[in-house]
Parts: sequence; structure tokens; C-alpha cells
Amino acid sequence: MTNTRSPAGSAGLLAGGVALATLPLWVGDFYQLHLAQLIGVYWILIVGLNLVVGFTGQLSIGHVGLLAIGAYTFAFLAGTHELNPLFAIAIAGVIGGLCGLLLGLPSLRLPGFYFAMTTMAFSLIVTELTLAQDEITGGGIGLAVPGVSAPFDTPDGLYWLILIVGGLVTWLTWNVSRCMWGRSLIAIRDSEITAMAVGISLFRAKLIVFVFSGVTAGVAGALFASLQSYITPDTFVFELGLFFFVCIIIGGRGSILGPFIGTIILTALPELVAPLAKLGNFFYGLTLLAVVLLIPEGLQRLFEVLAEKLRPRRIESHVVTPDLTRLAAAIREGQSS
Amino acid sequence: MTALQVTDVTKSFGGLTALDQVSLELRPGEVHGLIGPNGSGKTTLLNLLSGYYEPTKGDIRLDGEDLSRTRVQHRARLGIARTFQKPRLLGTMTVLDNAMLGAWRDVGSNFLGTALSLGRTRREEREFARRAGELLMGVGLGHAVHRRADLLEHAEQRFLEIARALAMRPKFIMLDEPAGGLTALETEHLGRIIQVMRDAGLGVLLVEHHTDFVFRICDRVTTLDLGKVIKRGTPDEVRKDPEVIRVYLGA
Repeated sequence: MTNTRSPAGSAGLLAGGVALATLPLWVGDFYQLHLAQLIGVYWILIVGLNLVVGFTGQLSIGHVGLLAIGAYTFAFLAGTHELNPLFAIAIAGVIGGLCGLLLGLPSLRLPGFYFAMTTMAFSLIVTELTLAQDEITGGGIGLAVPGVSAPFDTPDGLYWLILIVGGLVTWLTWNVSRCMWGRSLIAIRDSEITAMAVGISLFRAKLIVFVFSGVTAGVAGALFASLQSYITPDTFVFELGLFFFVCIIIGGRGSILGPFIGTIILTALPELVAPLAKLGNFFYGLTLLAVVLLIPEGLQRLFEVLAEKLRPRRIESHVVTPDLTRLAAAIREGQSS
Repeated sequence: MTALQVTDVTKSFGGLTALDQVSLELRPGEVHGLIGPNGSGKTTLLNLLSGYYEPTKGDIRLDGEDLSRTRVQHRARLGIARTFQKPRLLGTMTVLDNAMLGAWRDVGSNFLGTALSLGRTRREEREFARRAGELLMGVGLGHAVHRRADLLEHAEQRFLEIARALAMRPKFIMLDEPAGGLTALETEHLGRIIQVMRDAGLGVLLVEHHTDFVFRICDRVTTLDLGKVIKRGTPDEVRKDPEVIRVYLGA
């Protein structure tokens, strides 16, 4: 938040940014590009969910429901009704946000466990509805989904679009995370009593962030559908919602870089390392177990601890000695403004 | 500025009466001590004043507005701040971030404006950081501004809670056992800080077991026992009261 970024950190971010921007030029084959697109789409959802789970501490495990709603909205508008795909993506975001609002209104007042159960129930209901409403969704048979219009109609083009959207939403949440809003969300997560004491309206803040995550989930759903080119209710299994949640927990709460790396590792490793693919959920479970037991604060904290090991800072014991003149001036300034 | 007025407040939890017709007036520019044995209702009264509890009977008023049934957040915005018996800091954030959190009532940018990093958000951030920085220097935490709050020593945590409360630009500040666990020297510093707050016109409510400290720095003292006010007055009057000596101070 207010900690200043080191030159090495800035250089790393710049290098990472350049690598991502030029990825279609150096990536090995079409399959790896597809994987990069998939990671990007997941990330667009996770970056919004991260504000809900990682910052505000509201344990939503049902965001796959919002992803499905975005995907079917896009398929229905751009496919069945041949609407402009870019416009359809925007509408999917709006619908995702509205569904987030409708889900958040009754559920965000509930204590953690019950909130998590509500989001799970929501995602199960969405799956059932997509099966039942077959005149819109194609039922169990599913729907073919069109690609995005030019200049995003090639695999490279779709990657750029995902990169632009992903970069934008990451920038938005990064801005939130380093300002008063970010502090207030962490206060809600770590101590509701403290948050109330400084005047933060808990429900209002939770709802705003939840609606934001609904918008990013809706947009991610639209891009996801376009990427998959065919969707059925089986595409949106409950485990996918758990997967999003686990990416954040492994990455570390209250961080953006951590969950990003978590998303890359959990998406790419089972695909690239063949033996892991067979293990599937077992791999996720094992990773989660290892992180929760060994580094409960996630990958982000692991990096921080390593950095501190490399540059040890001695913390000296210090008698707290007030500067009363300065304090008086600061208090009087507050009283008069 | 008018006083924060507690009138005939009763608070029952089920059959248990924690506070019984308690009245108290917290005036600007005055340090008001609240003492009494464990379980006499001191923290309950603090929780009623800051809004975590609702009174069963009676009311709490500020400027004629009845606050008794308003939310904690509303009272924070009116300028009633508090600290906690056990410091409630956000351990993963820096000391500066913790202090800045107190400025929440002055935040004007909404979520979208913040996400888009509009000029107003950035201006506010700079202003809050400057204000919180001054307060941290003032309470003596200048050496730890960028340290994670969970790495603070006990006294530093207590002073950070005070800085956060002051960042709310309060009219009234309620301190729940702020001297708990402090050394004699640190308690001395705390006393000075409280006097600075009073001189700046804040009304201070001091809940404390450390009675020498209370009698030394308070202008008025209220003594509770079993949820009832047994004596109120100047420190000298309270110290010499036979009932207060019997139930609390000891011979």
C-alpha cells in the first residue's frame, strides 16, 4: 500500500509486462497460446473476486455461477441474436454485475460460513437453470459461441483483447488496493469492530466490491465462451468456482501479484506437466494443503519473507517519546478543518 | 461545543443489569475519569457510548440529537472516537496505513473514482498520509511509520490506536484502559498526550484501573460499582469518599 516499490520490483514488473504484451510472438505453439488465453480469462474473474475474498474476506466459492451467466449472455446475444460481440461482452459485464447485486443483497449480511453456502447454492442453481431453460441455453446439448469481431477475430487478436481487458481490471483493483478503499476492505476482513469504529459501512462496502466482482466475472464469462467456442452446463462445474477461490488463497490474501501467480501455476502446471494432468483435483488439493499448512499467508508472503531474509532490517526497541508540540498542532489542525 | 450527555441509562443482558440508571456528562476540553472494580460496567458504558450496544432505557445525546439507537458508524462520523482495551490494529498493514484508516470519515471519493485513480482520490491520499504522518510523529511513532503493525511492541500498539482515533478528527475520544501494560515512563508520556488532547478542546473519557494516574490527570471522576454510580466529583472528592475507598480503592 504505502510501501514504496523497489527498483528491482519495478524492473521485474516492466519485464513481466513486456513478456505478456509480446507473448504471441515468442510462444511455442497454438496450444500454449490457448493456455495463455485461458489464464487471462480466469484472471479477469479472479482479479475481481480477489477484492471480495483476498481483501474483504468474504468467502465466495460460487463465482462460477456468475461466469456461466456471462458466458450464456454472450452466447445468446452474439450467437443467437448476432449482436456485435464487443457490445455483447459489455452487456455480459452489466448482467454479471446485476446478478452480483441480486446475490449480494440477501447474502452479504450473513456470517462467513453461511455466505459461502449461499454462493455455492447460487452456482448450483445456475447450473440447473442452464439445463432447464433449453430454448435459451440449448440445455444439456449446449450452444455454439461465435468468435469476437475484427481485429480480435484471430487467436492472436483474442489474446490481445484478453490482455487489454485483464490489464485494465488489474489496474482498477490495484488503484483500489493502495488507497483508502483498500484499507477499509482489509479492515472489514481483519476486524469488523475496527472498521465500524472508524465509520466504515460494512454492508455497503461489501456490496460494492461484490458487484464489481460480478462485472468482471460477467466479462470473463463472455471471453471464456468465445474462447471455448462451445459451452454446455458441464463447462461450469462447481469445482471451477472452488478453483478460482483456491488460486487466491494460494496466492495470498491482500495481494494482487500473489493470486496472479497462483492462477498461472494452478492453470498451467496440470496442463504442461503430463503426470499432473491425470491427478487433476488431487493436485489442487495437495497444493492447497501445502500452502495452508506451510505458508498460510500464501505465496505473496513467501516472497516478502525471502526478500526480508536477503535484506535483513534490524528492528530496534524504541521508547515511544511523543513530540507534544507537533501533536498539539496536528490535533488543532484537525479540529479547525 | 456541547457535551456528550448520558442520561439515566440502563443496560440489561437477559436478567443481568450491567448498568443501572447511570448518568454522565462528557464535556469538551475536559478529561473525565471512569473507575470502578472489574465488572462494574465501565466497558459496557463505553460500548453504549460508541454504539456497539443499545441502551435498555435512558438516552445518549449530542447537540440535542438522540444517539442511543444510531449505528456505530454514525457516531464515528459525528466525531466520537475510541480505543480498545486490547488494541485492535490491522496487523498486515503498515503503521501509517493503520493511522490513515482513521481518516475514513473524510473520504470523498467513491469506489469507482478510486478505481480510476482520479485526481481527487490522489489528492485525498496525499492529504490523509500527511495528516496521519504528523499525528504519528506527535505520539512518538515516527521511527516505525512503515513497519507492519504486527511487529509493534505493546506500548507502540497503544499509541498507534490513539493516533488512529485522532486521525478521525474527533470531538470526543474514549480511551479504554490505555495505560494497561505500559511502563511508568510510557504512562507518563500517555498522560502528556491526554493533556494535549484536552488543551486542544477534546472531551476525553478515560477508563482506567491505574487510579493514581486517573486522579492525577482527570478533571472529574465518576466511580461505578455493580452498574451504579457511587460517586462523582473532582479527583480529591472521589479519592476521599468512604464508599469509593470501601469498594474499590481499599484502605
